[in-house]
Amino acid sequence: MIKRVEINYRGIYQKTLARRIGSDLVLIASRLGKVAFSNGRYSDAPERDGIPCKYFVFVSPDLPEEELEAECGAKLDIDVADVSIVLDDTMVKGVEPWAWHGVRPINEKVSADGCLLVVTRREPTQLLAFIAAKPHPYRLATLEGDASLSGLWVFKDDLTHERVLGAVAAVDPGIVTIDAVADYLADEGREPRRAEAARTAHAATVQRIRPVAPDAGISWTYAIPELPAWDAFGEGVAVPGVERRSELGPGGQARNAGFPRGTTKTERPVVRFDLCTRCTLCWLECPDGCFDPTADEYYDVAYAYCTGCGKCAAVCPVKECIVMVDELRFEDTASPWAAYRRDPAAYLAWAEGKKGPERRSYAHITGTGVEVRPAPAVRARRTRKEVATR
Amino acid sequence: MTLAEKTIAYEREELLTGCQAVAQAVRLADVDVIAAYPIRPYTEVMDNLSRIIADGQLDAEYIVADSEHSQFEIVKHASSVGARAFAGSSGTGWMYGFEALVVTATDRLPVLFLVGNRALDDPGAFGVEHNDALAIRDMGWLLCWATTAQEALEHVLIGYRVAEDPRVRMPMALALDGAFLTHSQHMVRVPAAETVRRFLPPFDLGDRRLHPDNPISIAPQVNEDWVMELRRQNWEAARRARRVIEQAYREFNELFGERYGTPFFDEYMTDDAEVVLVGLGTVAMPARTAVRRLREHGHRVGYVNLRWFRPFPGPEVRASLARFRAVGVIDRDFAHGSPDDGGVLLHEVRSCLYPLPERPQVLNFLTGLGGRDISIDDVTSMYEQTLAAGRGRALEPAVRWIGVREEAARGVPEERRP
Repeated sequence: MIKRVEINYRGIYQKTLARRIGSDLVLIASRLGKVAFSNGRYSDAPERDGIPCKYFVFVSPDLPEEELEAECGAKLDIDVADVSIVLDDTMVKGVEPWAWHGVRPINEKVSADGCLLVVTRREPTQLLAFIAAKPHPYRLATLEGDASLSGLWVFKDDLTHERVLGAVAAVDPGIVTIDAVADYLADEGREPRRAEAARTAHAATVQRIRPVAPDAGISWTYAIPELPAWDAFGEGVAVPGVERRSELGPGGQARNAGFPRGTTKTERPVVRFDLCTRCTLCWLECPDGCFDPTADEYYDVAYAYCTGCGKCAAVCPVKECIVMVDELRFEDTASPWAAYRRDPAAYLAWAEGKKGPERRSYAHITGTGVEVRPAPAVRARRTRKEVATR
Repeated sequence: MTLAEKTIAYEREELLTGCQAVAQAVRLADVDVIAAYPIRPYTEVMDNLSRIIADGQLDAEYIVADSEHSQFEIVKHASSVGARAFAGSSGTGWMYGFEALVVTATDRLPVLFLVGNRALDDPGAFGVEHNDALAIRDMGWLLCWATTAQEALEHVLIGYRVAEDPRVRMPMALALDGAFLTHSQHMVRVPAAETVRRFLPPFDLGDRRLHPDNPISIAPQVNEDWVMELRRQNWEAARRARRVIEQAYREFNELFGERYGTPFFDEYMTDDAEVVLVGLGTVAMPARTAVRRLREHGHRVGYVNLRWFRPFPGPEVRASLARFRAVGVIDRDFAHGSPDDGGVLLHEVRSCLYPLPERPQVLNFLTGLGGRDISIDDVTSMYEQTLAAGRGRALEPAVRWIGVREEAARGVPEERRP
């Protein structure tokens, strides 16, 4: 018997967190007399900022180590997971394992009666609005918390790691038990708050496991691409380039339809077009070329391609004009400029509603946390349309 | 072909070093981009090319790089936009650019490189040793040795012809023994440019040419989903290259006279031979001389001068060597820590012979390392040892060092050796 755990994390920001969860599950399972090991896909380069990545943990009470390794070790992805952990809830919108594989559901690997465990502040019903329906029942558990993001080598010691260990014991004690987790975390003179955090998270998670019925969730069909045979594609590692196209308006710039990379973002830029001075900086500085110039000299955002890096918001010289907002507040990747053109007042109200009353910023030294401030008050400017109709 | 056409195949005769012969061939091939960075013995090639360009005999971009790595990257990129490109190096310089050499092969870009074989430092040594060029043997390259300045000139042309063929498109390394060939002057017949043009069509990279009107990406990140298929493609190109090489020699012979018998290797006095030696490069001179002298004494010996190392002419070598009672493989290189601690060529040849139901005895002679001369006497000794092995005597050890200073060989008693 093998228990398989998948840890979905955001590349670089949660690399150390995910690996620690993996290694501690192995150590705790070993103390319970089981055989276990952990490995990861894309655990080092290329770990671009925010790219969805995976670590795996395999635990068996009865297989010898070599057989467990033979069953699970040489694979680059998992076929099925008893527990699929999601360390940043914005990944419930799907992940892109590789360019040509397209966007895949976050619960793709969760087995029948397996559990999707999401670190989030949202309700399960809110998450299920983004998650694919599966043909079989499974369980969804939520662990209250923020996406714990830090830097390349640093580790943000905010107890997320201990709390996730406790939650894993809650959703599947066959992997590790909460007593074993707590014993382990209390060992070697560690602070008592670590084991306490795990026990508290365990108790809370037990209350927050809910069954998901077959077909609950959104309809999401995806095809696993069939890659061409060696004698069916061009030689010399040359692939056709994206056809050049540059027109004004939404989607007017040529982009690679095969690899949008939008699942990389935790936040997206919300633009107040009424405040925009047309300085062009967002368009110039965007590393992914996500801004489409429009005929009226604004810059529309191609959200499907935005990786949420925040550079546009950082370079925008106008207060409150571009603000990074939690990706889970958005249902689609529709053109914001088109919405603004249709009904400026409605768009501005919508944008402010999404932005909410708080602004979050990440300190320059990663791993030191998130700063939350109240939003500054900025009066709506008259739109061009309003000016024109006066 | 009419007689009139044949007479212009070679335009004039000139006294040229191996390096100068290569430079003349680069001129005749009308190369577009040359990247240069000095290291001897290759340096004389770039010196001569700069003069040829300065004299207005060749219209080419001549870029002096800041290192071999940049030098090789420059020609790789030039090739990707459709330029016929040339570079060269020697010894540790060649090794320094290795990353660029490896990707040129996987990108399937048919640049031609001249390798003036040089021992790998340290300690400093300028003399010939084949380990530098041999280091690319598993990387998807064409690799060939020339034995004379005439062959060097002609193999630049044959090299481009094979490398650029749409069925192949692999980078080509032409190796010349440092000093013994690169800097030795001989009369060389220089082909006429018109005849060369008939042999070597303009370079056309087809739909893989990087150009704004042909938007492609070269060498994206592919990982486990594609690499194996790409390796399989590269193998297919190397397989096709064998036939393309044969065709190139056929057409070369038609245009320039019957210059070459078999494309992959030359056999010398092998028809009735009991044993042969096999080698690469200039060792052919003392070897063929030793063959003639030994035959005067009734010994039936022959020499096989291997020209193409990659792709290795496996079936041809197997069929040829199966005829002999013993084969002595001469290695001007050393495969450190390999089976029997022999040379690179030993392992290739012995592996070729393995499927034969009755295999010849195989000896290996490590010799001429670091540019040490290989005398006629040295080769004669190798023939004598190979003849003995062919008659079932003195089979051990399989690998023998020829020409290394040894206290035992000088008669110093064991107790007086350090």
